[in-house]
Amino acid sequence: MTKSISKEKNRSFDVIVIGAGNGGLVAAARVAMKGAKVILLEQHNLPGGFASSFVRGRFEFETSLHELYDYSTPGNKGGIRILFEDRLNIDAEFVPVPEAYRLIVTNPDEKIDAVLPFGIEAFIKAVEKEVPGSEDSVRKFFQLGKEIDQATTYIGQMRGNPDQDVLLREHTNFLRTAAYPVDDVQDALNIPKKARAMLNAYWLYLGVPTSRVNTTVFAAMVHGYILKGAYIPKMRSHEYTSAIEAKIREYDGTVEYNTRVEKILVKEGKVIGIQTNKGEIIDTNHVICNASPTLTYNKLIHPKSEVPEIALKEINARTHGVTTIVVYMGLDTTAEKLGLKDYSYFICDTMDTDQLYDSLINLEVPKVQASLCLNNAIPNCSPPGTCIISITSAFRPGAWDKVKPEEYFKVKTKIADGLIENFEKATGTKIRNHIEEIEVATPQTFSRFTGTYNGVIYGYELESWDSIVPRLQNMNDEKHIEGLEFCGGFGKRGHGYSSSLKDGETAALFTIQSLMKEGIIK
Amino acid sequence: MSQKKEKDLDITIKSTSRDLLAFMKLTANRKKRFERASSEPIRSDPMNELAHSLHPIRQYLVIKSIKDETKTTKTFKLIPNTELGTKELAYFRPGQYLSLKVNVNGIDITRPYSIASSPNDALEGFYELTIRKEENGFLTKQIWDQWKVGTQIESSGPEGFFYFDPLRDSKQIVGIAGGSGITPFRSIIKAIIKETIDAKLTLLYGSSEEDDIIFYNEFKALEKQFPEKLKIVYILSCEIVSLEGCEQGFITADIIRKYCDVDNSSFFLCGPQIMYNFVEKELTKFNLPSRRIRREAFGEVKDVLDLPGFPHEIAEKSFKMTVHMGEMTKEIPALATESLIIAMERAKLAPPSKCRSGECGFCRSLLISGEVYVNPISDWRRAADKKFGYIHPCSSYPLSDLEIKVPKQIGN
Repeated sequence: MTKSISKEKNRSFDVIVIGAGNGGLVAAARVAMKGAKVILLEQHNLPGGFASSFVRGRFEFETSLHELYDYSTPGNKGGIRILFEDRLNIDAEFVPVPEAYRLIVTNPDEKIDAVLPFGIEAFIKAVEKEVPGSEDSVRKFFQLGKEIDQATTYIGQMRGNPDQDVLLREHTNFLRTAAYPVDDVQDALNIPKKARAMLNAYWLYLGVPTSRVNTTVFAAMVHGYILKGAYIPKMRSHEYTSAIEAKIREYDGTVEYNTRVEKILVKEGKVIGIQTNKGEIIDTNHVICNASPTLTYNKLIHPKSEVPEIALKEINARTHGVTTIVVYMGLDTTAEKLGLKDYSYFICDTMDTDQLYDSLINLEVPKVQASLCLNNAIPNCSPPGTCIISITSAFRPGAWDKVKPEEYFKVKTKIADGLIENFEKATGTKIRNHIEEIEVATPQTFSRFTGTYNGVIYGYELESWDSIVPRLQNMNDEKHIEGLEFCGGFGKRGHGYSSSLKDGETAALFTIQSLMKEGIIK
Repeated sequence: MSQKKEKDLDITIKSTSRDLLAFMKLTANRKKRFERASSEPIRSDPMNELAHSLHPIRQYLVIKSIKDETKTTKTFKLIPNTELGTKELAYFRPGQYLSLKVNVNGIDITRPYSIASSPNDALEGFYELTIRKEENGFLTKQIWDQWKVGTQIESSGPEGFFYFDPLRDSKQIVGIAGGSGITPFRSIIKAIIKETIDAKLTLLYGSSEEDDIIFYNEFKALEKQFPEKLKIVYILSCEIVSLEGCEQGFITADIIRKYCDVDNSSFFLCGPQIMYNFVEKELTKFNLPSRRIRREAFGEVKDVLDLPGFPHEIAEKSFKMTVHMGEMTKEIPALATESLIIAMERAKLAPPSKCRSGECGFCRSLLISGEVYVNPISDWRRAADKKFGYIHPCSSYPLSDLEIKVPKQIGN
């Protein structure tokens, strides 16, 4: 250890949570509520990680959330509503998103412009209207999604150790599709090409083309969104992240901002503490880490000799998911005047997701975007007479690697310009002459504010070999350092707000179990 | 959906046995893939490196040279202090500022200063800050007394949102500057003539005396060299005006109309609060959309008593402020007419701050108890921060005894 011994003893906590992202916040709150002495350390001066907001002029922008999954109605609560309302009891308001999405495919050979509603039967009807004869096959895909949901719920209830007989008897379709990508399953179901395009627009939320993305994850996601709808926080994500932070404090948890953990101290395979960028050493036997395994094993574990070889192999066997670019705009006109009726827009050249994915390695205007008009979900999210539009697209890690500081502003401006142009063309609106505030976040921005490895936002790619099924089944065997739990988008449930929030809860649960065993809490 | 239909679903991808086998083998195959993978650590992280170079937490600088601009203004040329680990200077967007961290009589404070040099100059290895000596200036007195060639300066990375954005702004810029508010425009002008900004600038520059005009000769020369890109009008509020290219009086709507294409320009304002008050009123005569007018943050508010709704009856009061910072708790006095950030600086707590205008949120702190007055002109808090009791101490004033939790400086 480099630091000289100070007069006072090191601070000591039952649990140290590294990073106040979605996973870290929930983990810290759950552990604090159980009566453990916990400290949450965050390098930025805000909670939330990617789940945040920022103010420019008279606008407050949502940083990255499009649609919160698994929230659902008060009468039929989804997992996240249960977590927020019943387990954490936080003070944050969520509003429903009006429609699933408007899909605009611009290439003349594939041309689609359709609004897809929430509600499974309504969705199937909307597809049938565009693609007569697709109804049965599309319904089967939703049925599969439902069965997958039931199967994963069962596996969850069995804590990753399901009875094989029950699986074979009651969850056959889940088993038969669990090892395959979406294309294979949709081939088997004979879903017409155009219907697939309409059904697969959410592929961008997973960032892996349908030829490779795992069916279990994708079908459950599509089914869940269309069945339960999607929600967004009324005051942007900063509202619920602040509400969780307030809860941590209410239960005597400590939250310290502007504090970057530089080392996780490990001795003989066990966590013994952490060291901050201020040189402070804090003692603990339990770290819940919201940083990725990539950062943790390559940078944080100290000494290096304590890094297990298999941990590095696991990282290198995987593919890091995509990073994003977001163009945030505050416009001095209303959505109504622009003729924008919908909240969520998927706009792409083609629905050949391989072609789209492959192009995301190039430092050029991406041919796919997911855009939002926030006012169509929250009418008063900006002052009267204005509206907020954001355009999000993806890049694969590596695309921006060669950008020099002096080229950076030009590069991002050029790409943002192209994304705005594509949005205007596809929707037939003119927004450019109304831009009052604009900000462009890039992979650099996401690294800057969260420290994420190479700007990566989406965790590890969810291919079948490493989808959430094998991840959850093997989660107990893949802990390499005693006292170290991971949570967040690089974790067991994959990325996305809901997955990360739930993963925080799971990490807390494991840690609480250990603390009980050790007699530290009851 | 009927029960029957649900039972109907019977998916086979390859064959029932092969599909099940594929599932059964998931774990074993995955293990094999892990074992076969390289165990080489990942050493490069280009996006974090780019973030670090564009947005360093600290830049250690040293004064290379000092130039007298006017009798009250100096330009300090700053280069990297390599001994303290700063190897290169962060690139920036013309119009941005540096937040300097300075120790004045034992008290650590910060001050934002617009960068007067160009982004290209930063690549060449220097920044220039042009600073005017303020009457009773807490910091500028020390600068005049102590800053010499070789003095070490600690700075933030480039900050602020006062810059030309081609996606938003007209290619015709009207700059309106008052006094030392001219400094960001020097950077913008340098970028325009170097063609890193594709726009032309008409600059209306108000000063109180001819002697106070900063960069007069330099700008005159550039105007001659780039007449199609640059037009500068000097507006002097003094009685007698003798210099070429000057108007006497204030930056009125008439002056603006005389020199500018009002309807097709983006207006950029930088100057003292008194100038904003005057010019913004004049600009309302043109009924411009607000996207056409951008203003640099005020910096420290000097006359808090003039702010709308400020309760004058408590102006003489001093309150008790309990500050929690990390593990430390300290009780300090807080004057009603001084921002909480100043109260903490006086008490030698060195709180984090950058813009000192309520804008950047770097000083964001939790108000545990008590009440504050928040300057309504510079309240850039997030909606949820208002809901959960977070404040920006640099734009907040005490209305009662209070208790706050402040993050420590980010450190190195």
